[in-house]
Amino acid sequence: MNRCGVPFWLAVCSLALSLAAAVSWLAQPWTGSLSPQLSALLYGGTTALALIAVTRICVRWRRQLAQGKHAIQGLLARPEHDFQDEKPPTISLPADHPWRDVLMHVAERYHSLAHRLQESEDARAALQAQLRKQAAEHERASLVLSSLNVPVLVVDEYGELVQANPSAERLFNFNADEAYRRAIKNITRCEQLLDLLNDTQRRKSHTTRQEEIQLPGPDGMPRWHEVTACSFTSEAAKEAEALAASDSGVLAHSQPSQGAVVVLRDITSQKAAQQRYAEFVSAVSHEMKTPLASIKAYVELLVDGDAEDDETREEFLNVINSQTDRLHRLIDNVLNLARIESGVVEIHKVSQPLNSILTEAYETVKPAAEAKNITLVSALSPLYLPVLADHDQMLQAAINLLSNAVKYTPEGGTITLRSRDLDGQVQFEVEDTGVGLSPENCERIFDRFYRVKKDTHMASGTGLGLPLAKTIVEDMHGGRISVRSTLGEGSTFIVTLPSAAELG
Amino acid sequence: MSYDILICDDELHILRAVEFKLKRAGYSVRCAEDGGKAWEAFQAQRPDMLITDLQMPVMNGFELIERVRQADEGKPSIPIVMLTAKGYEMACRELAEQWGIQAILAKPFSPREVVEQVQAALAAQVS
Repeated sequence: MNRCGVPFWLAVCSLALSLAAAVSWLAQPWTGSLSPQLSALLYGGTTALALIAVTRICVRWRRQLAQGKHAIQGLLARPEHDFQDEKPPTISLPADHPWRDVLMHVAERYHSLAHRLQESEDARAALQAQLRKQAAEHERASLVLSSLNVPVLVVDEYGELVQANPSAERLFNFNADEAYRRAIKNITRCEQLLDLLNDTQRRKSHTTRQEEIQLPGPDGMPRWHEVTACSFTSEAAKEAEALAASDSGVLAHSQPSQGAVVVLRDITSQKAAQQRYAEFVSAVSHEMKTPLASIKAYVELLVDGDAEDDETREEFLNVINSQTDRLHRLIDNVLNLARIESGVVEIHKVSQPLNSILTEAYETVKPAAEAKNITLVSALSPLYLPVLADHDQMLQAAINLLSNAVKYTPEGGTITLRSRDLDGQVQFEVEDTGVGLSPENCERIFDRFYRVKKDTHMASGTGLGLPLAKTIVEDMHGGRISVRSTLGEGSTFIVTLPSAAELG
Repeated sequence: MSYDILICDDELHILRAVEFKLKRAGYSVRCAEDGGKAWEAFQAQRPDMLITDLQMPVMNGFELIERVRQADEGKPSIPIVMLTAKGYEMACRELAEQWGIQAILAKPFSPREVVEQVQAALAAQVS
């Protein structure tokens, strides 16, 4: 009752008074004969009754109105999670409330709508989450693809490019965005690659095929690639296939082939390494067979008794002896080179004076030089030249250079060994007055088994002495070896090494 | 008159061994240290037979044989025996057929076998 406002009560009172006035006015014909007291009582009673009746009705309406409002407010104020429940809500209205059925119906509809809205909201959120997940996955896959330094192409079932990474763009020289959905045969003209792709796509079952294919590199030079083509069936192709199957025969002829992912791996360096290895083995066996051929020939001459006098027999034995030494040297050099390259050989670098290594090499080679009447000059720097070097290996390199000079310097020639300080580096050189080298030979002189053909009669070298010196100086000690030469006048081999003083 | 045989090899010990063996077998032998010198010797006097190495400076064995065969045209071709350390890597039969080489001996070879091949080749030519 306290919730009813003043205007409401004023209206109720005025309505009651009006009613009373109307009743008294209408009852005038019958109340005229009554005493004024009785009339007043009658008017008063009637008015009071009317007033009470009207008030009660108004109060009940007001209560029902408040109950209805409360129920509607209750319905609207329900928390969202309540709608997840499929059960409709209960309405807190008395059983005789006139709005009860209507409100129950409204509540049910409202609940049903809200429940469906809630469901679609949940579905939308789930879809959004899935979409975000897929976008992240796609981004990750794209990132992986583009960061791969192997070219990757994706071709659909119609032979059109649908994806390519930057490596592929560089290899085939195209822009992936512009080339999207372009026929693959417009991107590469390599018949072998197109055939491989075609063959992979035409297969009924999923297949992976691999071939070694030559493609032009960035500089136009052909490079070897191991090409792997892996077929796949796209969703669109699966649908088309299903349609073809249901429409039996009608679309069967236009059944698409499979898509394919093509991955190319540059194997040029492996091929070159294989080639180098094969050439190395071939060259080693050739070099070994040469002294072996002499040994076998002279042994046979001796066995057959072809050498009739002691002098000839001694000559033959000397050949066998020298050729055995040559074979031994060759095997040692091959093993040494292989051990250095494979990292098997232990390197003990210590700071030491370069001059003492050079003096040791000088003393080692001196007898051979004297035997050929060659003057071996030692012109070493008076300065202390420290190098961080493996003593045995650096000595080997110096001996190889000096022996080489002795071999290719005619009798009566001169070989000079020098050393010097060179602005933070140390240098030594072996200068000879030998046969010299042509510019072409200067370039190839450090190649394995490369021997200047016209001079092979001068020395029974192994073709590995200079390559070994180069490996020791450059790969093992971080130095540099070079040659300066004039054909017919002589050669100078120069070795530059980091100074141990500079290295600290 | 003994047969004149030209031997060509840049490996002097091999050259000397073959020369020694053939001379003992009664042949007249001339030696050349490379293909160029062999070609000069061939031009100076046509030998009855050629024994040559394959890998040689100045002019290799095949170049030498090609010139010899060109010079041979119109005349009965001389027998040729090839000595090589690359024996296993070559398609010997095809090459022998292509150049009319009687034998390809792989190094290390037997000097005895060289003499046998020379005798067989020269005998076949006479018959």
